[in-house]
Formats: sequence, structure tokens, C-alpha cells
Amino acid sequence: MPRRLPYILFAALVTVAGLLVTNTYHLQVLIFIGINTLLALGLNLLMGYAGQISLGHAAFYGLGAYTSGVLTAHWQMSPWLALPVALALAAAVAWGVGLPTLRLSGYYLGMGTLGFGMIVFIVFREWGSLTGGASGLTGIPPLSLGPLPLDAPRSYFFLVWAIVLVAMALSRRLIDSRVGRALRAIHDSENAARAVGIDTHGYKLQVFVYSAVLAAMAGFLYAHFVSFISPESFGFMVSVRLVTMVVIGGMASIWGAVFGAALLTLLPEWLHAFADFEMIVYGLILILVMIFMPRGLTRGLIDAYERFHRQRIQPAPPAAS
Amino acid sequence: MPMNASTDNASSPPPLLHLEGISKAFGGVRALTEISFQVASGRIQGLIGPNGAGKTTLFNLVSGALKPDAGGIRFDGTPIQGRPGHELVALGIARTFQNVELFGSMSVLENVLVGRHVRTRCGFWGALTRHAAVKREEREASQKARDLLAFVGLADQADSPSRDLPFGWQRLLEIARALAAEPRVLLLDEPAAGLNRVESDRLGDLIGQIRDQGITILMVEHDMGLTMRVCDRIVVLDRGHLLAEGTPREIQRHPEVLAAYLGGAPAAG
Repeated sequence: MPRRLPYILFAALVTVAGLLVTNTYHLQVLIFIGINTLLALGLNLLMGYAGQISLGHAAFYGLGAYTSGVLTAHWQMSPWLALPVALALAAAVAWGVGLPTLRLSGYYLGMGTLGFGMIVFIVFREWGSLTGGASGLTGIPPLSLGPLPLDAPRSYFFLVWAIVLVAMALSRRLIDSRVGRALRAIHDSENAARAVGIDTHGYKLQVFVYSAVLAAMAGFLYAHFVSFISPESFGFMVSVRLVTMVVIGGMASIWGAVFGAALLTLLPEWLHAFADFEMIVYGLILILVMIFMPRGLTRGLIDAYERFHRQRIQPAPPAAS
Repeated sequence: MPMNASTDNASSPPPLLHLEGISKAFGGVRALTEISFQVASGRIQGLIGPNGAGKTTLFNLVSGALKPDAGGIRFDGTPIQGRPGHELVALGIARTFQNVELFGSMSVLENVLVGRHVRTRCGFWGALTRHAAVKREEREASQKARDLLAFVGLADQADSPSRDLPFGWQRLLEIARALAAEPRVLLLDEPAAGLNRVESDRLGDLIGQIRDQGITILMVEHDMGLTMRVCDRIVVLDRGHLLAEGTPREIQRHPEVLAAYLGGAPAAG
């Protein structure tokens, strides 16, 4: 099957959606799906491909949002100048944090990144003079491209999804390269990876930085869309939600990032009707998905499709696997 | 004393691996005590000994997985003791594992491609931009990997998932992966373990062909038939000490070796 076809179709679908959807609320939801896809994509590379967990990824999301927010709201810097600063800061912090913590593995890496996420959250909340503290940072300007304002939901939709599509294409290239093979090798057997000459720590660090940069990009897009940010948007629960997106969507899959982000963005919106029971239903759905599709939505849907297909071709499939 | 020592030394090529006074202890247990020997370039050298003799520890020291407590290891004259394993692969030391460690989620071809890691250069930026040089490198790596699969006889399995291969083929794949790094020394850790008679005979031929390409081989092996057949020289370890060193013929007659293997007292006279 040609590799590119699904991406071209998906890009076409996104374009059509952007042109046809007129409801502002729907556009907003689609924008949030795009932002979450960006977050899940980076984390999926780290978790799904390299096999390293991060329970503090919302910190990089927040670093992107707050860096650009503070620079533009306090010092009237152009967002397009603030963006590279935000990305560079997230990359530098990821490097500094990853250097010691990525030597850990399993639960210990989880604890290390969890602690990092909490520290960053506390900095957002307590450094009031810069971040606005617990009550948040207001007055973040909307984006514009030269004379072209991007604050209308439709134009912002196209901006966000253009960036998501580019990030998907770049991630695909990364996975299909020597670097991607090295990451998957580390996931399969660190011992064997070292034995073929892979600098395992160095590659973990690189993919950690890459995922942090994608998260900071998402934070930038979020901050300039909602124009107001507060620490809760980047706390521990958000990190957990990101991990859930990756697992529910499907590890080691670019489409898994899209599905996971879409489901976890849409569910809370749909479940408002359940009022007080919202969180219970939410949890139940996640449990059911994991029971019936343990390898995530992407794999689960492909398996279901193949089963359906096989049944149509041969009504009584043999019991052999 | 070895009978043919003089003729052997006269034609002896320079040592590629040189171990000098290597000692290693785990806690209070001395795994290796002052081991010194050399591996001549272009030779197949066997490393044998009863269980617990320290063979695997020695392998892990040479491949950089462990650091020696004392002593030095030189590779082609360069001290390598204590350098991380992944750097040694780039220098030209590749290894296989006793229990076969493949990348199970990848195809057979991809496993060999990962083996090319140290002979390819594409980094993060190259992967993201995928410029002409990167594409060329991918093509070349892929061709080289297919050639190696053909060499070990797995050409028609290139796209199979590696974890689905029968065990004997997994061993061959692991050797192809190690060869992909273009090593000068190949360390084989019990390559015949788990193979049947036919497979282990074919393996012996393959090891000979690898040597004929100019690759020096150091192998740990329990299969004495294979060891005696393919090895040019053999080093015997026993309880962390170097017990004997010589040609297969000499080793087979060595009284202390016989004693160590048969468990009795050294034969008198």
C-alpha cells in the first residue's frame, strides 16, 4: 500500500472540514483536537517508539504557553519572535531534565518526570509577578500573519492543522529513518541496541527533546487561541490525560495520536449530558476500550475491519490463528 | 610444550585483541583472575571451559558491557577497557548473544539495517529533511543488508517479522546483524546452542567463510565437535583462571584440560 495515500486523504479531509464547518463551537473543538494531537504525537514517539514514559509532559506544554504568553503580554514581543524562544527554552529544559532522568527506566523514570512536572506547575502558580500566579495570565494577543488576522476560528483551524500535518509528516520521516529504527531497537532490547552500537541514552535524549518541542508548539497555539492561561491547564492531570491519549489511541502509531487526541477531546464534550455522572461514564469508556482494544483504537479498528473482511470472504474461518 | 610452536609463531599474524592481566570480581566472587592472551588477526579463536569458568564475563569485558577491575584490553594497539560498548562497535568489535537478542517487533531486514547503525550517519536533521544524501545512504544500507541476508541464507525472509523465525534462523539473523557493522572482530557467544546437528554443521561452514573475509572471530562454545573443527586456537578457562592455550590438537591432549572437564585429579605423568 502506498505510504502517502492515507496522509493525502487525511489532509483533504481536514481541508474539507475547515471549509464546511461553520459552527464556531465545532471549529473550536476541532482546534483543540489539533492541539492535543500535537501533544500526543510527541509523547507517542517517546512512549510508543522509544519506550520511555513521561508523566510530566504537560510541563513542556505549559512552558511553551507561558513563555510566549509572558513575552507577548508583558513585553509586547511579536508572537512570531516569542515562538522560537518558547521552543528553544522547552528544548533546553528537556535536555537538562532528560540528561539525568533518562538514565532511569520504568517506574523510576515515571517518578522522575512526575516530579519535574510538579515543580514546573508550582513555578507557574507561585511566580506571580511573571505568570499571574493561580489566577492566570491574561491579555495574550491573538496571532496574525502580516496583515492577515488569524483570530477567527476558521483561520486558526487552518493554522493549527497545517502545523499538525507538518508535524505528522516529520514524525513519519523520523520513524522511517535510521533514527527511528534506533528508537524502536531501544524499545525492543536496550542490550541488543547497545551491542549494535546505538548510543541509547543519546537517542532517548533526542526524542525527549523532540517531543518537548512539539508540546511547546502546542502550548504556543493554545495560549494565543484562548488568550488566557492558568496553571491548571498544565498540571498533573493534564499529563495523565496525555498518556491516556497515547495508550487509548495506540502506541507506536501516528494515527494513534490523532484518534487518542480526538476521543479524549470529544468525550468530555459529549458527556456533559451526564452531568454528575460525567466522570464515571468517562472512566467506564476508557476501561471498555482497553478491555476490548488492548493495543489501542488504531490497532483495534484495523483488527475489527480485518475480522469483518475475513468473515465476508469465508463464512466459517478455521480456528487456527 | 606445544609441538608445532615454532612453525605456528613464524607465520603468526599480529594480535588484533590483546588481553593483559584482566581481573574482575562481582562482590566477593572472583570471576576472572589475571587473564592474559592474544587473538591473532584473521584467526578463529575458541574460548572454552566448564560452566562458571568466566567465559561470558570475559566476553562482556571485551565487548564493553563490563569494566575490568584490573588489567588492560587493547584492540589493534588501542586501549579499550572501560569504553562504552556502543563506541567499540564503531571501532570494529561486534557481538552476538547466548540467548539471541533480536529486535522482535522489526522485520528481518530491519534488524540488519539496525546493524548498519555505526556505518551510517543520518541523524535527527537528516531524518526530518530526508535530503538526497540520506536517501542514497538508505538505499546503500538496504542493499548491503540484503546482501548479508543472502550470505547467511535468509534472503527470502527479508520481510518476515523476526520474532516468527525458527530459532536456528534467528541465530543466523543475529550473525548477519553483527556483520552489518563491518566488524574486524566478531564475538560469538555460544553460536551453536540450541541448534541441531545439521544446523550446527552449516554454522561451522559459515564461521569459516566469515573468517575467510578477513574477520577475526572469538567464540565461546560448548559444542566440542564444532569448536575443534573450526577453531585455529583455543583458550581454556577454569574457575576464572587461564588453564591452557593452544591448537585444538594440543588442547585435546592437555592433561589439566581433561581433568577440568572430567572432574578428576590431573592425570599422573
